[in-house]
Amino acid sequence: MAPSTQFEVSQPPSDAISAVIFAPDNTNRLLVSSWDRNVYLYEIAEGTEDATLINKFEHRAPVLDVCFGANGNEAYTASLDCSVKRIDLSTGEQTVLSTHEKPVRCVVYSPQHSMLISASWDHTLHVHNTSAPASTPITISLPGKPHALAASPSKVVVAMTARLVHIYDLPTLATALSSADPASANITPWQQRESSLKFLTRAVACMPNDAGYATSSIEGRVAVEWFEDTAESQARKYAFKCHRQTAPEEEGGGDVVYPVNALTFHPVYGTFASGGGDGTVALWDAEAKRRMRQYQKFPDSVAALAFSNNGKYLAIGVCRGFETDMEDFNSEGRTKVFIRELGETEAKGKGPK
Amino acid sequence: MGKKKRGHPDVEELLARPWCYYCERDFEDLKLLISHQKAKHFKCDRCGKRLNTAGGLSVHMNQVHKESLDKVENALPNRQGLDIEIFGMEGVPDDIVQQHNQRIITNFYTAQAERHAATGNPPPGQAGGQGPAKKIKIETPEELKKRLADHRAKVAAIKANGGVLPVPVVAPKAQPASVSPVTGQSPAQGASPFPPPQPGFPYPPPVGVPGAFPPPGQPGVVGAYPPVYPPPGATPTPPGAPGGPGFNLPARPTGGALPQRPPYYNNYNGGAVPPPGAYPGGASTVDELVSGAARQGGGAQGDEIDQLIRAAEQGSKPPARAGEDSAGGEKKGKSKDKNMRMVYGDSEISPEEKMALLPRYAVSAA
Repeated sequence: MAPSTQFEVSQPPSDAISAVIFAPDNTNRLLVSSWDRNVYLYEIAEGTEDATLINKFEHRAPVLDVCFGANGNEAYTASLDCSVKRIDLSTGEQTVLSTHEKPVRCVVYSPQHSMLISASWDHTLHVHNTSAPASTPITISLPGKPHALAASPSKVVVAMTARLVHIYDLPTLATALSSADPASANITPWQQRESSLKFLTRAVACMPNDAGYATSSIEGRVAVEWFEDTAESQARKYAFKCHRQTAPEEEGGGDVVYPVNALTFHPVYGTFASGGGDGTVALWDAEAKRRMRQYQKFPDSVAALAFSNNGKYLAIGVCRGFETDMEDFNSEGRTKVFIRELGETEAKGKGPK
Repeated sequence: MGKKKRGHPDVEELLARPWCYYCERDFEDLKLLISHQKAKHFKCDRCGKRLNTAGGLSVHMNQVHKESLDKVENALPNRQGLDIEIFGMEGVPDDIVQQHNQRIITNFYTAQAERHAATGNPPPGQAGGQGPAKKIKIETPEELKKRLADHRAKVAAIKANGGVLPVPVVAPKAQPASVSPVTGQSPAQGASPFPPPQPGFPYPPPVGVPGAFPPPGQPGVVGAYPPVYPPPGATPTPPGAPGGPGFNLPARPTGGALPQRPPYYNNYNGGAVPPPGAYPGGASTVDELVSGAARQGGGAQGDEIDQLIRAAEQGSKPPARAGEDSAGGEKKGKSKDKNMRMVYGDSEISPEEKMALLPRYAVSAA
């Protein structure tokens, strides 16, 4: 087995990390968005254990999410200043795609349909047609405040407050977008579900094989569900506890429960990684319902995770957890981005038992 | 009062007990030792798997978690190495075995000597009269009070010293003066400071109960007496018997001496035995007090390994005690299925929204 190595990027953001993501066409390129108002573009030098900062793109306000567009030269950001921006990574040119009424929490790009979907705390989704940047986006109003968003090849999953989960069908959205009058299109969710988790949803990730998705909550729990709406499929869904620590006896025992901040599926093996406030990252086999690995604790809370498109690297954004001591929050010097180079079969599941 | 004979295993039995190389604990049998080692020293902290040896754990960590093991958990500081393959009693180096046996033997004879000193019994070999004759000692309330004050001062000194027993020269010397032997005829009738005993209890008892009392080095026990247990007597410690300042607070002997009491009572007292009910309670309390005090004070004696063990124990125990108290309230917190403490518990507002409200993240006017 090839040895797995792990290294730290040399110039990490100066404040908390909101998202990390790898480019779709370039395994070595990754973007990190931060509360320090910047989006950082790093490139891992081939064959070495180093990732260098290529560029950074300043925003007017903290950046809450970032995603790549159609290729490794295009990125979209969600910012606290309510705007959804497109960034040309080679020129650094920023264009505002749309503006929400409240800060934009998440953005997700669907390469299959050239669509960008943004979710904002103003209870709306904006669906943009990126092949026609000038066109007005479709606005879909949501019953709750969205907190997490993820897209699979054909679906987009929005997790909101009050345990609401809406799943939209991407082809339907694409049709509506290309229709004559997108603004008047009446979009209804493909499915409406109640989250299997009792607490606030923290992250959503879709299976690369388009079969289902995983959600995580602030209460150290992850749920795995399937899209297919048959009793048989729905019976397969499950949830499990993770990212908890047994409190030492002297502190009264019991469990200290950390939020599960990040989820990401391995693009090749379909296994997934979860990162929690306890500073650990675990690899799970969704099929076999088994934990495959748990990595050594990171120095701080894990805020974001991403696999590269070939599954070779796992990027781990680590910063101070902002669950506590919100008042004097400062993640300076404690923000780090780790890149883990996985061994050949490190993330390969064993299949159902 | 047929109290069960307190067994003092002989030295061979002690030496035959299996013990753990990593923490010097000894066990009833080998199976217990092995399960102890698997649970305490060879358990994987990632997944909880219990391996048979340190080597096994190391391989497990390597293969399963891709991590390397650098030391054995919960081991004494100089026993954490992975180079020695231990399984049960197998693999323990000879010199360590020697060292362990030596320690057991030393401890055994020390304890035995203390026991003899405390009970006044002669060592088994030299049957009659060679040991210093036992005398009954009656203390007046004033003397008792003085001893109590002495002890309190000493405890305070120990505390002030950071829990370490200072090398006290004063205390042992002060003792003999306060413990004047009195003949059995005049008990402490003027014992007004003692609260009345339980109804029906003959008070004051005709004669102090000899025998079972801690040696003068431990006056605190007297101070802590439950009122149920009035006899103010105490045995004199044979002069010079517990040697050196280190033996001020002998460990076990006093506890061991307790069963001796009834015969003496009969001897001196011609049958005026106190009601059975009053006794066991008092005795067990005293027992606990004594052993508690002994545990506290034991730090000054013993060899290197003893100190290591004690240090390890102190390292783990005191915080445990402190924590238990403080955690009491927290337990009842927001537990649903069991004691669960969520780091972030707001199910309506996400941490990001709270952060977004902070002034430092305000949108800059650009």
